[in-house]
Amino acid sequence: MKDSLVLLGRVPAHPDSRCWFLAWNPAGTLLASCGGDRRIRIWGTEGDTWVCKSVLSEGHQRTVRKVAWSPCGNYLASASFDATTCIWKKNQDDFECVTTLEGHENEVKSVAWAPSGNLLATCSRDKSVWVWEVDEEDEYECVSVLNSHTQDVKHVVWHPSQELLASASYDDTVKLYREEEDDWVCFATLEGHESTVWSLAFDPSGQRLASCSDDRTVRIWRQYLPGNEQGVACSGSDPTWKCICTLSGFHSRTIYDVAWCQLTGALATACGDDAIRVFEEDPSSDPQQPTFSLTAHLRQAHSQDVNCVAWNPKEPGLLASCSDDGEVAFWKYHRPEGP
Amino acid sequence: MASPFSGALQLTDLDDFIGPSQDCIKPVKVDKRPGSAVTKIHIEDDGSYFQVDQDGGTQRLEKARVSLNDCLACSGCVTSAETVLITQQSHEELRKVLDTNKTVPPDQRRLVVISVSPQSRASLAARFQLSPTDTARKLTSFFKKIGAHFVFDTTFSRNFTLLESQREFVQRFQGQTDSRETLPVLASACPGWICYAEKTHGSFILPYISTARSPQQVMGSLVKDFFAQQQNLTPDKIYHVTVMPCYDKKLEASRSDFFNQEYQTRDVDCVLTTGEVFRLLEEESVSLAELEPAPLDSLTHSMSAKELTSHRGGGSGGYLEHVFRHAAQELFGIHVAEVTYRPLRNKDFQEVTLEKEGHVLLRFAVAYGFRNIQNLVQKLKRGRCPYHYVEVMACPSGCLNGGGQLKAPDVPGRELLQQVERLYGMIRVETPEDTPGVQELYRHWLQGEDSERANHLLHTQYHAVEKASSGLNIRW
Repeated sequence: MKDSLVLLGRVPAHPDSRCWFLAWNPAGTLLASCGGDRRIRIWGTEGDTWVCKSVLSEGHQRTVRKVAWSPCGNYLASASFDATTCIWKKNQDDFECVTTLEGHENEVKSVAWAPSGNLLATCSRDKSVWVWEVDEEDEYECVSVLNSHTQDVKHVVWHPSQELLASASYDDTVKLYREEEDDWVCFATLEGHESTVWSLAFDPSGQRLASCSDDRTVRIWRQYLPGNEQGVACSGSDPTWKCICTLSGFHSRTIYDVAWCQLTGALATACGDDAIRVFEEDPSSDPQQPTFSLTAHLRQAHSQDVNCVAWNPKEPGLLASCSDDGEVAFWKYHRPEGP
Repeated sequence: MASPFSGALQLTDLDDFIGPSQDCIKPVKVDKRPGSAVTKIHIEDDGSYFQVDQDGGTQRLEKARVSLNDCLACSGCVTSAETVLITQQSHEELRKVLDTNKTVPPDQRRLVVISVSPQSRASLAARFQLSPTDTARKLTSFFKKIGAHFVFDTTFSRNFTLLESQREFVQRFQGQTDSRETLPVLASACPGWICYAEKTHGSFILPYISTARSPQQVMGSLVKDFFAQQQNLTPDKIYHVTVMPCYDKKLEASRSDFFNQEYQTRDVDCVLTTGEVFRLLEEESVSLAELEPAPLDSLTHSMSAKELTSHRGGGSGGYLEHVFRHAAQELFGIHVAEVTYRPLRNKDFQEVTLEKEGHVLLRFAVAYGFRNIQNLVQKLKRGRCPYHYVEVMACPSGCLNGGGQLKAPDVPGRELLQQVERLYGMIRVETPEDTPGVQELYRHWLQGEDSERANHLLHTQYHAVEKASSGLNIRW
């Protein structure tokens, strides 16, 4: 495991503040970071170093908690504790705030674009998940307000190919939503975590979902469609999601983020013990009961809690991380050879 | 557990933890006096507080008062457990009044009047498999059996809400060149919508909202003013109960605007949801179907309430339909026989237009449910609302689907709602202009349409709730 995760560089992304989240653009050329200083910074490479290309200030009145790029790469959404979500339009190196989505009662915790590019999801401490639709004139309308969770909703993520939405909450559950007629409904609740679920990540195929929690475990859930070979019972025409693997004993503190590399299938975690870990599925493992091995464990990746890990969508093994220490770090991951 | 209040009111911090730093919507007002140094507070033996100034002068301090209604509308610190307790008290409250009536001397008894909404009646009709008329008669029988004196139908008071809404719209439409922000007119009968508007959008949205009182509150005026006079009673001698399809109507009844200062009495003393009436029936071990039907009561002598009547335009009151048809006639001389609704984004957001020679003369909409209210308000804020009038209701599918309506364990929600809608729609429709008793009341009780009395008794006002912003209400 030695040298499987190598530091490429660090930048003081949000000085004197926390860096909360990172998002690579779909082309993998830019990294957006956001933080407690209410700013969003866009990073790009100049030669071997990472430089700040743009600073998006004047958008939010409070901490920016998450950022997300649209599938086309021309828009950036930012979710803030000021209860709004800003939509920024990219014009070369400039970003202009074209719309502000209002409506949540309090802090917006997460925002995510659907793969189709027409839908956006936001979630908030007000316990609700909102689905928005954008039309050709860049007008956003609320399509659904989902009040399924009983506590603060921390994260939302879309399925890579289906119009399926997942949310994670302080109520210890993960909920899945789909469209039904003219509204959205919660069709499954994944229970098992013993504390707040902080983040979610779908695997490249979309058949599995990873969740990470304050209970210091990562759980892998698998989708079973009605009529599946394994005989897993389904209700009506909705799939069932079952927990097929739990990674426990690896993390000593809360796991704040999990990222599933869409190129290699490697799983990275961001932990409150300041470390970054990478897991890989054992090649011979049973798809219904997979086993994962820890292939990288970088202690003191940052000097404080690691809040986010993000795999570059185009360059295999390139990983970015950020922390309460305000810094963003870039890493190169090599799967370790041999025993 | 799921909150019984409408979705619009649910999006507040209701949970079972009282966060000590949550904002209360009733911040204590501090009168800042110039040049004041440190003031001391002295507590007397009787528990009263006195502020002691520098020069030794004392001033008795008023107790900060937070009423139950403030709490229900805010939920800033009250936990969900308490709100559930509060909402479940009402039928016990009624029972207490009925029991008291039995024990006190006649001059201390209160006249108990129950006003039943047609939506609650339809829900009970569906549950007991009765026609709306049978349900009305048997409910009358039941309430009188337990000690009520009169049982009315809020369809009657709704006539006034509809007429006032019609008149108000035409006035605002015609006056739009004079003052800004007169259009769109937003319907006001739904307290879930009103509480949300007051709390979240405050002074921005309130000028658009119709000032017409809801049928419940018009009934409050009718019972405590007109009917009280007829019965030679002061308003406080009447105990007025309404039966409503939702819990939000309890908030509406307890608004200070509907409190009679002179007689220290509310226009509506108690609101029971349909579910609470069902519980009352169970507690009395009464099977509604087996009761002997009683004749229906009417508020005025000229009305013969031999049969039930209803209004066109759906189960939430028909505001759009009535305002639209009246406006088409009054403003453009066009008679609209049938109003055509066009669903837009979803079935709870529908549009109605009046067109002539390719021109759109009127564009109205129906917006039910929180997501549609959101979109409407955001459009308004951006100055992009194309509507002249919007019938806004907090509950998806409207009042027939209110949070206090009966659920059936063996019937899926949608099917049950369809049954209730069918039963509601069965009743013969009458226009407010033609309803016996209404014009008479305008003449004699209100002293004319658009009179000062009419405005006082049939209209109301709204109050923005200003929240003190504080960085303290962060919960992790």
